[in-house]
Amino acid sequence: MPIVLESLAKIVFMFLLILGMVPVLIWAERKGAAFIQDRTGPNRAAIGGVRLAGLVHPIADVLKLVFKEDVQPDARHKAMYNMAPWAAMTIAVSSYAVIPFGDFITIAGRKIPLVVADLQVGALYVLAVASLGTYGVVMGGWAANNKFTFLGGIRATAQMISYEISMGLALMGLMLVFASLRITDIVAGQGDLIFGFLPKWGVVVQPLGFVLFITAVFAETNRNPFDLPEGESEIVAGFHLEYSSLKFALFFMAEYCHMVVGAALISAFYFGGYQIPWLPRPVLEAHAGGLLTGKLIAIIIVSGIFAVLFLRRAQKERNKFGDARDREPRIGAGLWLMVAAGAAGALLLKPWHIGPQGAEMVASIAQIFAFVGKVVFFAWLFIWVRWTLPRFRYDQLMHLGWKVMLPLGLANLVVTAVVMALV
Amino acid sequence: MEGFLFWFCGSLMFLGGVMMVVQRNAVVSAAWLIFAFICASGIFALLDAPFLAVMQVLVYAGAIMVLFIFVIMMLQGPALEGERTLLKLPMWPAVAVPPMAIVVMLIGYLRGHGLTSLGGRPPVGFGGPEHVARLMLGKYLFAFEMISIVLLVALIGALALGKDERKLPWK
Repeated sequence: MPIVLESLAKIVFMFLLILGMVPVLIWAERKGAAFIQDRTGPNRAAIGGVRLAGLVHPIADVLKLVFKEDVQPDARHKAMYNMAPWAAMTIAVSSYAVIPFGDFITIAGRKIPLVVADLQVGALYVLAVASLGTYGVVMGGWAANNKFTFLGGIRATAQMISYEISMGLALMGLMLVFASLRITDIVAGQGDLIFGFLPKWGVVVQPLGFVLFITAVFAETNRNPFDLPEGESEIVAGFHLEYSSLKFALFFMAEYCHMVVGAALISAFYFGGYQIPWLPRPVLEAHAGGLLTGKLIAIIIVSGIFAVLFLRRAQKERNKFGDARDREPRIGAGLWLMVAAGAAGALLLKPWHIGPQGAEMVASIAQIFAFVGKVVFFAWLFIWVRWTLPRFRYDQLMHLGWKVMLPLGLANLVVTAVVMALV
Repeated sequence: MEGFLFWFCGSLMFLGGVMMVVQRNAVVSAAWLIFAFICASGIFALLDAPFLAVMQVLVYAGAIMVLFIFVIMMLQGPALEGERTLLKLPMWPAVAVPPMAIVVMLIGYLRGHGLTSLGGRPPVGFGGPEHVARLMLGKYLFAFEMISIVLLVALIGALALGKDERKLPWK
């Protein structure tokens, strides 16, 4: 029974992590786009005058999408049309099952590995699920019975076939280096150091493989510069053109879930997953008390600075808008002061005197935070690239996939195999 | 639990196969076939063959069926325009083959080659990537390579048949 509960808890944690990141990513996309294009970005939606720098907009979006009329084309293929968004979403979240988000955590004397399913063939499972990822898009595009959606679906298929091979070849190099298909082995192997100072991350031992993999992941997630299935300027909105309301929302969420999956895969395969460089698990546990104290002090300082900044704004802009928005700086200052007070209160509990059990717990949580931090960075990279690069032309896409990435992937594999055989 | 999962996957796979045959629309047929492949992968997983299970999804459901759907869609167009059947092929092979398979199985069963348990759990690592690799790239290497040559020949043959005679480079 505890095994079932454990798995359930891990599944819920992963699910909350993904679904919680989706609105934040949508916000980051809008704010980031605005930042890159020198605009202000979303700043209208508010709850009681508090706008949270636009973070209220995703909530408003959800409300809009839930209550919007679900317009459907008459000449659709009913079953496929209804199934496509669910297929897209389900497949997008199922990759998470094999990605470790931490090493292990000890609760009530049980050592729990922090991965939902530690498959012997985990890396292949990732490829298999990625290869299914295109069906939601293709089915949606076909069932809507519209030439533009149809073109979007066809484009998605061709793109997926072209880039999946490079993705597999890039991963094969990595599998050779770490001699395993088990993702937990691959992540654990990245905790070592080469020559005593360089972390043995995938990106260090397989730099070319990393470039190929990240390009293929961008292509698989249908994000710019590979968003030809959507191609607003060419085929209106591509595969989701005929979808509205919650069905569109599912497609939209699936895209962001794919981004989080992509970011998690990149960090697990090439950036050490939960490993903190130069801080292996024993060192972390030995210095857990000091680490925790230092963290708390850092939280107090940072939140104090934020509180002071908000207080100054509250002083300066006392009646800037003349409505509820004037309350915003004061509420912000209050929140940051509460965070600082909470951290100070935690300091009173003498965190430098935690026992070995506490030290283990701190080390586990620190590793989970390391993983989530890497995922957030790569998710931001997706947004960054989208608003920096223009879209490929279709022939350029095919040229890159078959004539550049495929030979490079093969060469990378051969060189890796030869080096591994000689060393 | 294992029995339940076997009958669950097995009956769904059977359903997928039947639905694939009786559907008029080629794309819907292909979708049911994908469904059947995924159920088959579940059965492989039950049989302690994780590598085969994942390969079933990766190669059949993920790669080959994507190509199939791509081709069907290219020939048919969007949903309603493509309601017509794709090819006018004779139906009798599809009707004749399953009963023949059942007859063969029945003969085997009646002659005493019924389903017998191999007994006990398979050894650790059975059906894993290492085990499969040792068999495929060791013991059965020749057969494995021969199959790849057969596929290559088929590929070149399809290319030669599909290409316009007059435009061949050596003409």
